[in-house]
Amino acid sequence: MNGYGFRHAARMERIKLSSVRSTWWLAIAAVVSMAAAGAGVGLGYRSHTPVATAAQILNNSLGGAIVAQLLLGALGVLTVTGEYGTGMIRSTFAAVPRRRIVLAAKVAVCGGAALTVGLVASFAGYLSGQLAIRGTAIPAASLGDPAILRAVVLTGVYLGVTALIGVGIGAIVRHSGAAIGTLFGLMFVPMIVAGLFGESGIQVGRFVPLLMLLNSIAVTSPVPGLFSSWISALLMCGYAAVAILCGGVLLRHRAA
Amino acid sequence: MVSGFRPPTALPSVDRVIELRELTKRDGDRVAVDGLSVQVQPGVVTGFLGPNGSGKSTTMRMILGLDAPDHGEALIGGVRYPDLNWPLKTVGALLDAGAFHPGRSARAHLTALAASNDIPGSRVEQALRIVGLSDAATRRAGTYSLGMRQRLGVAVALLGDPGVLLLDEPVNGLDPEGIRWIRDLLRGLAAEGRTVFVSSHLIAEMALTADRLVVIGRGRLLAETTVAELAAGDDSLEDAFFRLTSQATDYRGVGAS
Repeated sequence: MNGYGFRHAARMERIKLSSVRSTWWLAIAAVVSMAAAGAGVGLGYRSHTPVATAAQILNNSLGGAIVAQLLLGALGVLTVTGEYGTGMIRSTFAAVPRRRIVLAAKVAVCGGAALTVGLVASFAGYLSGQLAIRGTAIPAASLGDPAILRAVVLTGVYLGVTALIGVGIGAIVRHSGAAIGTLFGLMFVPMIVAGLFGESGIQVGRFVPLLMLLNSIAVTSPVPGLFSSWISALLMCGYAAVAILCGGVLLRHRAA
Repeated sequence: MVSGFRPPTALPSVDRVIELRELTKRDGDRVAVDGLSVQVQPGVVTGFLGPNGSGKSTTMRMILGLDAPDHGEALIGGVRYPDLNWPLKTVGALLDAGAFHPGRSARAHLTALAASNDIPGSRVEQALRIVGLSDAATRRAGTYSLGMRQRLGVAVALLGDPGVLLLDEPVNGLDPEGIRWIRDLLRGLAAEGRTVFVSSHLIAEMALTADRLVVIGRGRLLAETTVAELAAGDDSLEDAFFRLTSQATDYRGVGAS
């Protein structure tokens, strides 16, 4: 065979990702936070009057994604900055000197893992919400309903993509604390800024990740003025692509 | 066979020559490495000597493609490091004792790096055995002593059974037994026909380990010589080293009296 390639780098990254504890803690925390939020919402609505609608329960029981996105975003960041912070990056680049292959492998492995965890977390949020309202008059939300299934699946996708934005920011910033701070800032500050625009805030708000999550992606029908959930999810992928491309350009010329 | 691996036979020795051509690296106004041209040959241990801050580590980093030279190039068997097909099977490097994630076990660290260059898992166990870390292989590397970290670094360098070995200050943090172990290991690897390029600021240690010496100061080549030649003129090897580097030392203390 004629030298190493993406496949080898991806195997390396898979072993690296699964052999540090922080990966497992962040993944478990992401699932637990969504399950807890779902259960909490369901229990809260049990004795609520008027009786909640299926959409209300679904929309709110996916609310744990606000926390889960930060956890999985941090997972993505740490995939890169954990190496710069410790010196591991020198071993990695000595083994795979074509650095963009390393970044591509990190994107594939971390993105795949975060997408899986994100989907599990999203379904956990949905399921615990449904379990918590059993035996009440609140109508159940069936996954057979395309709008319900779409909201649950796209919330998982959103979470996976957040990790990819984290990978990109990690490659740009390289320092764990600064990169996680940047990621959290990018998640929350634009939402506050959009609020300052008042009436026309929706024109800006529909581009803001957290607002897309809460009003377009994780809901059965998007709030008027926002993009459809698929467009919102694609927009998130676009943000991730930009962050990763910037990281890739910078990666090439910097000293390791 | 000291390395515990198959004796290298497949590669003609020219593939193992490290060649530096006018290698230059600026660090702001300072020139860290200044037009360094050296050939490092297989079959012997070549010591890379110079005072602290003389540019040894920067040179090593440029050979490995971790730093880009401002001028000149570093070639291994005529190939730039980033263009190697299987870097770890060609060059084994120990840069510093902290090039790992402290939360990962030694075995996972080695297994991950092995996967990147299609090196079988059995080699991981072999490398762990050679450096004496088999019993500690499942422990998180962050709990290791400095000497154990150096051994893990040596295991990484040996992982791909490479024909060229590059070690930056490998005896740092090792106890006397460890120092002797690494000396014997390096001499054995060279005797198998490998190229062994090892940096140090300790002339006494180099005198015991190396055959040839490349001496630099302030990034410039001061001498390419042998241990025997360097010691011949003066009364001691240490005096000869100081004579050679006296004009090229950045930081110097004075007597306490």
